[in-house]
Amino acid sequence: MNHYETLFIIKPTLTEEEIKSQVERVKSIIANQNGELLATQDMGMRKLAYEIDKQNRGYYTVVYYTAPADAISELERQLRYNEEILRFMTVKYSNKKEIAQYKKMVDAVSKSSSSEDTTKKASEATEASESAE
Amino acid sequence: MAERRKFKKRYCRYCEQKVEFIDYKDLGMLKYSLSERYKIMPRRLTGNCKKHQEMVTGAIKKARQTALIPYIVDRKRVVENPFELIK
Repeated sequence: MNHYETLFIIKPTLTEEEIKSQVERVKSIIANQNGELLATQDMGMRKLAYEIDKQNRGYYTVVYYTAPADAISELERQLRYNEEILRFMTVKYSNKKEIAQYKKMVDAVSKSSSSEDTTKKASEATEASESAE
Repeated sequence: MAERRKFKKRYCRYCEQKVEFIDYKDLGMLKYSLSERYKIMPRRLTGNCKKHQEMVTGAIKKARQTALIPYIVDRKRVVENPFELIK
């Protein structure tokens, strides 16, 4: 089992429910491939730095998970076929140092996401100020 | 010494903060090594150490792929708020 992180950008033209179902779909693919989901980070709707498929915005989601190596090719194949996903990237964390850092990131994300449910707007405001710094 | 040092001594910002790993999603970390046109600044100008320069280079390239940072900024593709990400 390796440690992975996948970031994907969903088309902004979808409704909120459709976006949620897309995220669920990616999660279910990971589960079907014997992967274990550790955390998900919703970066929300962001402006893209450059146009992708004539879209200027995108809904960013990052999933952190452990999975066997052959799960990635299947996941990427499915993401590639999915027309609602503009862009995706998988990063593998392999050596000890990286995995330690990975665990830190997962902890930070799972902490913030648990508080996000109650005070979603407040956390978004802090995120905005963080990016502004 | 006839040739005096013209610039102040540079130091590695990442070493100073004891950064062990640079996440490509953390744009605040990347901004020290980006120019106004989102080019990767050379080590001779930023003073980054080799270890951190390699880390930050990888992170910037990943951030570019995921459209967090533009590849280029020119007259045709003007970023509406060029300093929205870097401040």
